[in-house]
Amino acid sequence: MTDPRVLVVDDEPQIQRFLTVALTAAGFQVQTAETGAQALRAAATGAPDLIVLDLGLPDRDGKDVLRDIRQFSTIPVIVLSARDREAEKIEALDLGADDYVEKPFGIGELTARLRAALRHAAHVSQPVQQIEVEGVVMDFDKRLVTRDGAPIKLTPKEYDLLAVLFRNAGRVVTHRQILASVWGPAHHEDTQYLRVFIGQLRAKIERDPTAPAIVKTEPGVGYRAAEPEARSASPGDAH
Amino acid sequence: MAPTNRPDAGRPDPDALIAAFRRESAGRLKVFLGAAPGVGKTYAMLQNARRLRHEGVDVVIGLVETHGRAETSALVEGLEVLPRRSIEYHGRALEEFDIDAALARKPKLIVVDELAHTNAPDSRHPKRWQDVQELLDAGISVWTALNIQHLESLADVVSRITGVAVRETVPDRVLHEAADVVLVDLTPDELIQRLNDGKVYVPETARRATQNFFTPGNLTALRELALRRTANRVDDQMVDYLREKAIEGPWAASERLLACVGADEVSERVIRRATQLATGLNADWIAVTVETIGEASDAKRANRLAKVFGLAERLGGQTMRLQGSDYPSEILRLAARENVTQIVLGQSRAGLWRRILGRSLPEALMRGAGGIEIHIVPGEEARPSSWPRLKPLLSRRGLGPELAVALVSVAAAVAVAEALSAALKLPNLSMIFLTAVLFCAVRFGTRAAVLASLASFAAYNFFFIEPIYTFTVAQPQELFALLIFLAVAVLTGSLTGRIRDQREMVVGNAELTQSLYDYSRKLSGASRPDDVLWAAAAHLHGTFGGRIVLLVAEGDELQIRAAWPPDAQLDAAALGAANWAQQKREPAGWGTGTLPRIAYQFRPLLAARGAIAVCGFEPHSADQPINAEDERALTAILGLTAIALDRALLAREAVNAATMQENEKVRDALLDSLSHDLRTPLSSIAGAASSLRALGDKMSPDERVELLSSIEDETGRLARFVANLLDMSRIEAGGLKVARDLVSIADVVQGAVDRSRKAFPGEPVRVSLAPNLPFVRGDDKLLEQVLFNLLDNAHKYAGEAGAIVHARQEGEEIVLTVTDEGPGIKLAELERIFEKFYRGGRPDGRKAGTGLGLSISRRLVEAMGGSIVAHSPAVRRRGTRFVVRLPVAQATPIASSPAA
Repeated sequence: MTDPRVLVVDDEPQIQRFLTVALTAAGFQVQTAETGAQALRAAATGAPDLIVLDLGLPDRDGKDVLRDIRQFSTIPVIVLSARDREAEKIEALDLGADDYVEKPFGIGELTARLRAALRHAAHVSQPVQQIEVEGVVMDFDKRLVTRDGAPIKLTPKEYDLLAVLFRNAGRVVTHRQILASVWGPAHHEDTQYLRVFIGQLRAKIERDPTAPAIVKTEPGVGYRAAEPEARSASPGDAH
Repeated sequence: MAPTNRPDAGRPDPDALIAAFRRESAGRLKVFLGAAPGVGKTYAMLQNARRLRHEGVDVVIGLVETHGRAETSALVEGLEVLPRRSIEYHGRALEEFDIDAALARKPKLIVVDELAHTNAPDSRHPKRWQDVQELLDAGISVWTALNIQHLESLADVVSRITGVAVRETVPDRVLHEAADVVLVDLTPDELIQRLNDGKVYVPETARRATQNFFTPGNLTALRELALRRTANRVDDQMVDYLREKAIEGPWAASERLLACVGADEVSERVIRRATQLATGLNADWIAVTVETIGEASDAKRANRLAKVFGLAERLGGQTMRLQGSDYPSEILRLAARENVTQIVLGQSRAGLWRRILGRSLPEALMRGAGGIEIHIVPGEEARPSSWPRLKPLLSRRGLGPELAVALVSVAAAVAVAEALSAALKLPNLSMIFLTAVLFCAVRFGTRAAVLASLASFAAYNFFFIEPIYTFTVAQPQELFALLIFLAVAVLTGSLTGRIRDQREMVVGNAELTQSLYDYSRKLSGASRPDDVLWAAAAHLHGTFGGRIVLLVAEGDELQIRAAWPPDAQLDAAALGAANWAQQKREPAGWGTGTLPRIAYQFRPLLAARGAIAVCGFEPHSADQPINAEDERALTAILGLTAIALDRALLAREAVNAATMQENEKVRDALLDSLSHDLRTPLSSIAGAASSLRALGDKMSPDERVELLSSIEDETGRLARFVANLLDMSRIEAGGLKVARDLVSIADVVQGAVDRSRKAFPGEPVRVSLAPNLPFVRGDDKLLEQVLFNLLDNAHKYAGEAGAIVHARQEGEEIVLTVTDEGPGIKLAELERIFEKFYRGGRPDGRKAGTGLGLSISRRLVEAMGGSIVAHSPAVRRRGTRFVVRLPVAQATPIASSPAA
């Protein structure tokens, strides 16, 4: 397996500089683009496996670039954004971004997100039967959830909820995405509803529901299941 | 109004509910009513007040006259008494009820004795009952005392019964609107006994009059009036109660009365009669007058009419002035509009002339409106005069000019007829006289025409009818012709005159309309509130003369925003009246019931959201009320002004809101770029550092060096940004200390260029300094910072070509320039670049820098007494030149010599 190709789209030269050095060292092939136009061209012709996209570009809004990319490609896109721009993040995720990283960020965090995105892309083409996160195993064929071998009783809605999170393990899933896939598109605004169910779910699966290790909250955005147990070698093992 | 066929029977009457609500939000008035002085009203009031006080109610004595009676004084003991207000008037010290103190104290209940009292001149209100009204409006309940004789509608009855004129009166509606009326009753015998015992206070001067007043007959009559009034009230309250509770009852359908009045004696009687009818029917009533244009501008008439209307208002009627010449149809139109059910009018309005034509006013009214009842009040004395129609014509005002015109015209007619008498037959000569009559009618109006008819009649008879030069007539048929002539002359003359009068009125109306039209056009061009106010002041002055002021509330205070003449000022009393007008939305000052001694009258300009301004104007003459024509014009002008002002104010508010929104946008953009500027270097540093730690062993030595130097560069960038931010906040907080030392420009340039070369290696800087530059006074560290910021800016925008620093002396100034050869700055941006957080676009479309450097530089240079500007293009249609000018230090240093 060749090194995955990553397209880094950012207009700040100093960020370009360190990302190129660091991601190369982490086992990626790095391409760069400084503007939205360059990014679209590189995405269309360079066949990257991943895109790292800064939302603040000089020529156009990063979200528009993302929208255009989604017209022709399902390449995983990781968005670089600022903490105080929650609405922008959610918008980008709903537009089809796979995940986001807040500036300023450490390289470990970024490579973890890149790995999760790559893995998810692989899952979509080749569905898995079983996922294990922090000792909780979800078996999709048997519709069974166990912790350390002991079955956990979940209601159908709780099961569906956990399934959405586990299938995207390591990636953020927005409130809207969860609500739409578990309760249907008519309920995508009922965030309070979701909070109650997440609380119940945590009470059943977490070792310590007050300090959740499996289902983590992404404030204002959604929820993220922790990284699944690695069973195949993936690139960019920075730890 | 339709009879009581109420579709909503069973539901409470909304009017009754509204009235009940008003009673609840305002203070409650309780009137202790007595038949005569001495029945013990004050005593009863104070006893009740003590009881309430004992129960813990917040009771205050606003004013009580004990007249030195010990038992009454004893009751005041222990109650809170407001101090009285002393007024110096014509050398006498008067003590009055202090309404402002009462409003400030704001008790639950206040006792104010003697409701009918007349206040000292210069008080806010002429009458005490008006003070009480204000207290009630402010939510304070009031207890007061009143003798029946002081009730306005009974005043003339009482003076007829007792023979004592009543001067101090209280409008009936005050008693009518009182929440409670308590009758304090004493039999006449007991009262006379008390008087004889000396228990009733009577002023020394009035002692004789009271001897006649306190007779059993008078007291019985007064007692009956008081009992009746109270009984009527109880009756009304019962009806109100039934309505409020929606109890079906036999109450009458609501009636509305119209009292037709004029400037004659019978009008006051008409009004009193209308009041009595209205009180009996529990109905509203309107006093109306219809006047022609000539009457409307007649000052004497206006004065009398004002008196009549004043009475109507005091008795609780509404007043209206209509203009027109067809009396019955104007009245009927109003009656239809106002749903009038009964009309009251005086007898003298119907003249012989109209009776001959079958058009007497009552008849015409009855013919026009079948359902309306008509009451006719007979005149004071019968009018046997055979010329009832002419009498007012002759007596109304001096006939001087009209008589002269009529005589001259007739004399001319005599001369012409004399000249033509040889050629014409006698009957044809009458045509010449008719011409003279018509001439008078067309040019000078009805009265001149009637006079000319009479003069013609006499002259024709005297000069041309046999026997000539006598007033006797020989032939009976000639007498007949003469009478026919007179009838024709009077008829045509008065008809023509009426047409002329009507035309004049139309012209007057057209002038007003034209003037209003011009004014509204002027207003439509005024977009700012001040423009509207100035236009209004100028127009009002042009229309009415006199001084005009227009006030608008600024915060809590009214301030003059426009005036004519422009320097007009108001004293404190006038401002008080203006404030009153604004707060109560009622006219105040001259000619009103509030502060009538102020020279101005103030009227509020009302818009949907309240009184937006107040207009003050001076009357033509302080003694004459405003005539109907001026009143109409004034109302129209103020109405137009209010609309235009409201529009202008709203427009200004809309602009303010838009500006605020714009500011918010700018602030958002600013925060955005600030967070971007802080985050970008932090991201690079954090990213590079974490990469080195996690992946350093997988990198080549060169790559590691690159990441490390990137950390260094970004740290420097961040440090400069933070320093700039700190400088800026220090400047803004006023905490930056600028030294005033002697500074050598050469040293400053050297320092700044060295720093620049270190911070931006590879960016060339050239320096050229004039020799022997003098010192400037300032702060060398800060000046170096200024120059460094300019160099930083040049490097960012100029690209490869680098920057040139130059310094020279020009007169008393050192000129320091930093020139680059970049693309330059657009003319429109040359000043904006000194604004905080403003950043020019870079050639590659990126934003760069913090947008603070130039702004800080300007503040620093200005703090040192210098200036800084930018010029672009600088050289060969490219580049930018920043020019710093600093004043040369005056005092030459003694000991030190300039370095380098």
